[in-house]
Amino acid sequence: MTTIAAPMASRPRRAPLSPPLVYGAAAIAFLLVLWFAATAIPGVVSNKVLPSPFDVVERFATLAADTFSGSTLFGHAAASLTRWLIGVTVAVGLGVPLGVLLAWLPPLRPAVTPVFELFRYIPPFAWVPIAVLWYGASTTTQAMIVFIAAFPACVINTQLGVAQVDSILLRAAKTLGAGAATTLSRVVLPVAAPAIFTGIRIAFSNGWMALVGAELVVGKQGLGFLISQGQINDSVSTILVGMITIGALGALIDVVLQRVQRLLLPWKSATTRPVA
Amino acid sequence: MATRVRSFWRTPPGKIAWLAICLGSIVVLLGAWWYLTRPGGGISPLFLPPPDEVLDAFVRLLSRPYLGSTLGQHIAASLEVVMTGWLAAGLVGLPLGIAMGWWRKARWVAFPIFQVLRPVPPLAWIPLAIVWLGIGESARVFVVFIAAIVPWVMNSMQAVYSIDALLVSAALTLGANDRQILTRVVCRTALPTLVAGARISLGNAWTTLVAAELLAATSGLGYIALNASRTLEIGILLVAMAIIGVLGALFSVIMQLVTRIVAPWSRANAEGA
Amino acid sequence: MTTTKAHGPTAKMDIRGVSKTFDTRAGAVHALDRCDLAIREGEFVVVVGPSGCGKSTLMMIAAGLEAPSTGQILVDGKPAGPAGPQRTVVFQRFALFPSETVAQNIAFGLRVAGVDRAERARRVTEQLEFMRLSQFRDAYPHELSGGMQQRVAIARALVVRPEILLMDEPFGALDAQTRTVLQEEVARLSREMNYTVMFITHSVEEAVYLGDRVVVMSSRPGRIKKEIAIPRDAGWRRLDIEEASSEPGFIELKREIWALIRTEIVRQ
Repeated sequence: MTTIAAPMASRPRRAPLSPPLVYGAAAIAFLLVLWFAATAIPGVVSNKVLPSPFDVVERFATLAADTFSGSTLFGHAAASLTRWLIGVTVAVGLGVPLGVLLAWLPPLRPAVTPVFELFRYIPPFAWVPIAVLWYGASTTTQAMIVFIAAFPACVINTQLGVAQVDSILLRAAKTLGAGAATTLSRVVLPVAAPAIFTGIRIAFSNGWMALVGAELVVGKQGLGFLISQGQINDSVSTILVGMITIGALGALIDVVLQRVQRLLLPWKSATTRPVA
Repeated sequence: MATRVRSFWRTPPGKIAWLAICLGSIVVLLGAWWYLTRPGGGISPLFLPPPDEVLDAFVRLLSRPYLGSTLGQHIAASLEVVMTGWLAAGLVGLPLGIAMGWWRKARWVAFPIFQVLRPVPPLAWIPLAIVWLGIGESARVFVVFIAAIVPWVMNSMQAVYSIDALLVSAALTLGANDRQILTRVVCRTALPTLVAGARISLGNAWTTLVAAELLAATSGLGYIALNASRTLEIGILLVAMAIIGVLGALFSVIMQLVTRIVAPWSRANAEGA
Repeated sequence: MTTTKAHGPTAKMDIRGVSKTFDTRAGAVHALDRCDLAIREGEFVVVVGPSGCGKSTLMMIAAGLEAPSTGQILVDGKPAGPAGPQRTVVFQRFALFPSETVAQNIAFGLRVAGVDRAERARRVTEQLEFMRLSQFRDAYPHELSGGMQQRVAIARALVVRPEILLMDEPFGALDAQTRTVLQEEVARLSREMNYTVMFITHSVEEAVYLGDRVVVMSSRPGRIKKEIAIPRDAGWRRLDIEEASSEPGFIELKREIWALIRTEIVRQ
C-alpha cells in the first residue's frame, strides 16, 4: 500500500504518454472517414490521385491473389524479408562482437574511429549506386544496403552497453576469482544485454527502412519494387498497398522483438539512451 | 609482464595515444587502399579506383560542370530542397509537438496518427510523391517534409513531456500563469532537447533527400551519384558520396553549435549525444 | 510544553478538515484524514511524521498544488486561491529553472508579476546579499553545489514576499554538513524577518531546533497526532545546532517527539 502511492503524493500527477486507446481509435477512424469522404464526394479528389479506402482493400486482395510484376504480394514481401534477414544477420553477427571488443579493449576505439566517422554520415542509401556497380541488381546489393544501415546501431549500442557495466561488478567478479572469459560471459554480457538488444531492434528497423529504398532503385522483386511498379503504372492503390504492407511488417518486426526482449531479458533494461 | 600487456589493452588510451592510434589507422587504411588498387594490386579500378584517381575526379568536378551544372549548383540544389522540406516540417512539427507534449488532449488525438505513420519508411513515400507531384522539386520537398516531420513532432513532444513537473509546480507557486509557464519555463528548459530533435530531423531529411534524388531529380548530389554509377565513373561516385557525408556531418556540427548558442546553460552540451 | 489548538481569527493560514484520497490502480489510498492545523502570523510550524504519512501531500494541498478531497485552506480567514506567490514553496529537489542564472531565478516571481525592471533589480540584489549569494548572481544552477542551489531556491521564494513560506523537506537532499549550515541560516532568517513558515521534515532534531511548534502526524492515513509548542525563549535558540543538541531541554523534547513517531512507525 505504502509504496504505491507515496511517489504520487509527493508530486503533481501527470497523464501517461500513451493515450487511452479510445482516443487513438477515434482519431484514426476520423482520418479514415475523411479519406473516404474526400474520395466519395465527386470533385474533391480524383480517384487517380487518391483511391478510396475500399479500392485499396480491393487492390490488396487482388495483389495477394494474383501476380503483379513477377510475384504476388506475399512473394514480394518474402523477397524483401529474405534480403533483410541476410543483411541484419550479418550486421548483428559482426556488429555485436565488434562492439564488445571495442568496449572491452579501449585502445581499439581510436583505431576504428576514423572509419566510423567517415562512414557515419553517409546515408545507407547513398551506397546504392556503388553497390549496384559492385554486385549488380542482386540480393547481395540489397543485403549490403541493409547491412550498412543496421551495422552501426549494433556496434554503438553494444559498446555503450558493455562500457556502462559498473566497474564495481567487475572488481567483485575478480575478487570472487572469475577470469576474463567468465567475467565477460557471466557478468558483462547479461548486464549489457538489454542495451545490446535495443541496438539490435534499432538495427532491424533501420535495415528494413533502407531496404525499401534500395528496392526502389534496383531489383526485380520486393515491396520497394512493388511500389515503384505502382508508380510506373500510375496505380496509387498499388503504391498504398505496398506502403501499408511495408509499415505493417516494420511495426510487426518491432513488436515481436519487444516481446522477445521481455521474454528473454526480463531484468531491468540499461539506463543509457539508445543510439540510432 | 603479462599483467602489463593486459593493462594496456584494458585501459582507455590518453589523448596523445588516442591521436597516434587514430593517425596510424588512417595511414594504414590509405596505404592499404593505395596498395590494393595499384596496377596489379588485386582490386580492379572498376571496383575501387586508387586514391589519386578519386582526387582527380574531385578536381574535375570542381573545375568543370557535370551533368549540366557545376558542383556548387548541384550542392545548392540539394541544400535548397533539404532546407525547404526541413524548415516546412519544423514550422508544422515544432508547434504541434510542443502542443502534444503540453496538452494531454492534443497528444491523445494526434499521437496515434503519428504512431501509425512512423513505421512507414519516408523512402516509401517517394513513388507516391512522384505520381502526385511528378519528377520535380516539389516531389522531393514533399518526401523530405515527410521524413523530417515525424522526428520533429516526436522529439518535441518528448522534450516538453519530460520536463520535470516540479519546475511547473515551482513556477505556479511563484505566480506564473499557464502562458508564462509554457514560454518561460517549459520551452526554455526543453530547448536543448528541442534542438536535438531538430538535428535528428535534419539528419533524416538529408538521408531521405539523397534517396529522392536518386529517383526523381535532374540535379543534386544523389543525381550525380546515380549517373556516375551508370557511366562507371566510380571516382566521381565516391566524391559525391564523400560530399554527402561531409555535409551530413556539417549539419550535425552546426546543430550542436546552435545548442551551445541558444542554451549555453545546458549540461547536455558537454555530452554531445 | 503545552498542546495548542490555535484556531480562530488569529490564524494566518488555517488548514481545516483536510482529507485526501488518491485513486490508484491498486484502489483508493487514504493519504490524509481530517487534518486541522492553524498557523499564526510569524509562527514557524514544523510538521514531522513517519515517512509516507502524507506530510508532503498536506504541504502540496496547503500550497494549492493539489486539491483536497474534503476540507479547505484559509489564509487570513478567506479561502486560499490556487497556487501563487501568496504561499511560495521551497522543494526538496530545489526546482531551480536550469535555463536561468541565479539572479534570473530569483527574479522569476517578480517578472511574472510584472514588477518593473528597476524595482526588480533592487529587490533581487537585496535578496542576493541577504542570502549571501551576490558572487553567484550570474552562475547557472548546475554550476552550484546542492546547498547553494537551495539557498537560491529560498531566495527565490522569499523575494516575492509571500504571506507564508512552505518548505518541503528542504534539506533532505543535502549532505549532513551543508544541512547543518542551512538549518542555522534558516533559524537566523526566521529570527530576523519573522516569517510565517510551514516546514516539513522527518528529522526530529531539525524540528526542535527550528520550530515554534512541532506538529506530529500519525502514519497513514495521516492525522495530526499531537502539537507541541516550543517557547520562543528556549535556551538553545541562539546556539548553533551542535551546541543546542546537547542542551537538556532540547534532548528531552527530542526524546518526547521521537517516542511519538516511533509508535507510529511500529503501528505501520
